[in-house]
Amino acid sequence: MKILCDRTQLQEAVGVVSSVVPTKSPKPILHNLLLRVDDEGITLFATDLEMAAKTRLDAVKVSRKGLLLLPAREASALLRELSDPTVTMDSTDQRCRIESGGGSFVLLGEDPSQFPEEIKLVSNKRVELPAGRLLRMIQESAFAAAREETRYAINGVLFDLAAGCLRLVATDGRRLALSYQNIDAAQAEFKVVVPLRALTTLSRAIPEGSKDPLQIAVGDKQIEFTFGKTQLISQLLECRFPDYEGVVPKAADTSVEIQKAVLESALRKTAILCSDDLRMVKFEVGDQALRITAESSARGRADVSVDVNVKGAGGSINFNPDYILEALRVCQLDQVRLDMSDDSMPAKFTLGESFTYVVMPISGT
Amino acid sequence: MIRSLAPEVVNQIAAGEVVERPASVVKELVENAIDAGGRRIRVEVDAGGCERIRVIDDGDGFLPEDLPLAFASHATSKLSVLQDLDHIATLGFRGEALASIGSVARASIRSRRHDRDAGAEIHCDGGRIGEPQPCGCPTGSQLEIRDLFYNTPARRRFLKSPGTEKARIQELLAELALARLDLDLTLVADGREVLRLPAGQSLTERFASCFGRELARGLLPVERAFGELRVEGVIGEPDLARRDSKLELLYVNGRQARENSAVHAIRQAYREFLMGGRFPIYALTVALPPDQVDVNVHPRKAEVRFLESRKVAGCLHETVRAALQGRAAAASAGGVALAPELPRARSGFPDLPRDLFGRADGGAVPEPTAATSAPPVVVRDGADRPPFGHKSATQDPAANPDQNAGPAPAARPNPFARANGRFLQVHDLYLLLEGPDGLLIVDQHALHERVVYERLRAEHRARAVTVQQLLVPTVVELHPGEKAWLLEVAEDLAAEGLQVGEFSPSAMAIYGVPAVLAKTAPERLLRALLADDGADARPRLREQISERFHSMACRAAVMGGDRLTDEEIAALLQAASTLEHPHNCPHGRPTVLTFTHGELERYFRRRC
Repeated sequence: MKILCDRTQLQEAVGVVSSVVPTKSPKPILHNLLLRVDDEGITLFATDLEMAAKTRLDAVKVSRKGLLLLPAREASALLRELSDPTVTMDSTDQRCRIESGGGSFVLLGEDPSQFPEEIKLVSNKRVELPAGRLLRMIQESAFAAAREETRYAINGVLFDLAAGCLRLVATDGRRLALSYQNIDAAQAEFKVVVPLRALTTLSRAIPEGSKDPLQIAVGDKQIEFTFGKTQLISQLLECRFPDYEGVVPKAADTSVEIQKAVLESALRKTAILCSDDLRMVKFEVGDQALRITAESSARGRADVSVDVNVKGAGGSINFNPDYILEALRVCQLDQVRLDMSDDSMPAKFTLGESFTYVVMPISGT
Repeated sequence: MIRSLAPEVVNQIAAGEVVERPASVVKELVENAIDAGGRRIRVEVDAGGCERIRVIDDGDGFLPEDLPLAFASHATSKLSVLQDLDHIATLGFRGEALASIGSVARASIRSRRHDRDAGAEIHCDGGRIGEPQPCGCPTGSQLEIRDLFYNTPARRRFLKSPGTEKARIQELLAELALARLDLDLTLVADGREVLRLPAGQSLTERFASCFGRELARGLLPVERAFGELRVEGVIGEPDLARRDSKLELLYVNGRQARENSAVHAIRQAYREFLMGGRFPIYALTVALPPDQVDVNVHPRKAEVRFLESRKVAGCLHETVRAALQGRAAAASAGGVALAPELPRARSGFPDLPRDLFGRADGGAVPEPTAATSAPPVVVRDGADRPPFGHKSATQDPAANPDQNAGPAPAARPNPFARANGRFLQVHDLYLLLEGPDGLLIVDQHALHERVVYERLRAEHRARAVTVQQLLVPTVVELHPGEKAWLLEVAEDLAAEGLQVGEFSPSAMAIYGVPAVLAKTAPERLLRALLADDGADARPRLREQISERFHSMACRAAVMGGDRLTDEEIAALLQAASTLEHPHNCPHGRPTVLTFTHGELERYFRRRC
């Protein structure tokens, strides 16, 4: 193959697909990117066998077609360092010569026929929504997923499409985040768990607030996200996701409305005096006031009272402050609401118009 | 076509279970000799026992008319009715050993009872039993097994080299000998005496004669009684720990036996004192009424089952733990008893005379302990004989510092409480201090780790138990046994913050986890508790919690390579001086190495 193309565009395309390349794999061929050059342009493809990314670059002058494997790390580092606006790539016998601005580099590739084949997803379950909206939903849910890599944990986010509403749900068993979006046109239904890694990779490819359409297609074992010329396809997690609807409390004894900034600041201050091993703050809801306290025998005591709107009986309840702070970090509302009952019942935070967060309290025995 | 097997074939098959290698023959024969009341037992083996094994005892001997039955299957004098199985006090009882051995070798017995004038002799060659012939012989029995496995070539091929088989026999005799200090045992291999164990040795002496002289100085005698149950024996200092579990010797009513929960309980007691991958050394016997233990669960009797295994495990744990924590305040803080596998030069001193620390000059006789000073007493018969037989029932309890009823033994003194405040940091890692007994070398990281760990633990103990409730109960599928155990201990677990309940016939649900372990996956936590089978539930859960403090402490402690100011060192030593267990870091690594005045003087030849 031989091509001439814009360096910045190529660098971006390489960057997008490189994000799925494994840093260390016992199968070294996966450290490469596959470049397929046809008459109109280049298709770039990479995979770690759990997920795959594909993107297309059209603004290319093709002199000779062909297939090529490029080592991903070296290729993207090199493109970043080059300064000329254009770059020429010329390959023979799995060797690729890159020329740009007077420099000449040879990258040694491997046999393209040994590279895993692209997966073609067959599916009629498709749904479309603005890319920026999906990004927001991922941000509002994924943080609550379990991080520890054990076989018991669900390291993924539930995508539940039913009755024209797409819900993204994540939980680690102690708290649960739920973000939803009505999609009127959607006829399809699916309920699948997507690995966190795929969502992190996808998030990186979507600019904040983008209005461009993003398509989700769900097959038996895979999910595919198509955004512009880029496709990300990932294996689904085969696990039973807990019944989240039963978990979200329908009623509460006490409702508290509070400024998000006030709550965040109060929690940050009190959390300083939690002990390292036992992260716990106490919420006491009284007459139009919320008192947050923390105590550690080694460090001391924090006591913060703030004005709030209270409906209901009031009461006290203990939380891990980190759980609440993590959610507030992705909350865009000025005023949030807490619905709580007692320390054996989940408490519900309303953190956005379509963003609900449920936290299980800490109880004494 | 289906046929009944000929009795010889049946016996050969049965032999496969009982007689695996020469050592198993020796074991059966020596146990028989002991059951027959033999006091002096001599074992001779040639070529690792493959060519010839001879066991001579001075026991009761056979009645001449019983001899033909000796090689018959399921013939025994040790029990007659089924009920006898409930209180077995002999080592053998199944009546299979001689029949099995006779079917795979050329065996002969010569025996004379003390009340007869003449002895008798009988041969059994590959299962064909001959006629008893009168012969002259001393009282007692003499069994000779030649050409083991000559008629079962398949098994013969699986024998290891004669050297290996001999070593196995030696090990086996040593293990048997530790249970019976009243026996006089000799092992002769290929004409050379390799083991000589005179009757009346103390357990410490015998342990050392069997497994190495240098072990003797690190053995602590222990003895506790818990109602009808008694635990007695010696345990090794943690620094004698080995990389394998060969010297974990557990005896039940004088019989060596394994029981997982008991072994586990002992290891747990050592846990804080040992590094990972090390196994303690000990010889402990559990004496309990015979109806409290089932010995007939394993063809080679290698395993037993206790009626109340948790209670036995608890008693063992308590005995060992108390002894380790209360290690007598020996002047040389034991820290210098370098692990035997370490080359001596590692002590910091060049590899010089062996008597530097090892006191090899005086033989291996350790400081007088209760075990060594107690007069040997010969007692026989039944489970009521004192375990290890080195002590009579009437002996004054005060003679033994570890006596059960007495107050807890004095704790090993805290070396930091008695240091004089002068110190030096070297290599940004070690602190040299002057203590009343000599020179202390401290690992700053290990010591600080222990300080932080104790602080976290104290903080945790002082506050109420808190539970991180789970949003959705975690359902864990379990074996019926695991589930039954969990239901039984659910209350104990709840008291430490783990809330579990029945979910379905085969599953349990976790509703809440201790808030300090909120980040652990609940199912993993539960499985960790189940994995440790045998010990009590609450301590296990506490251990899981402590484990978290270990890792927090490790991260919070000063590292090797951190240069400390004098004020910091003083503060660290001050904090260490109030510790209850200052000698090890929470992972079991030592915090301090002591060179006593005496050791320094000997090294510099100021004193001989």
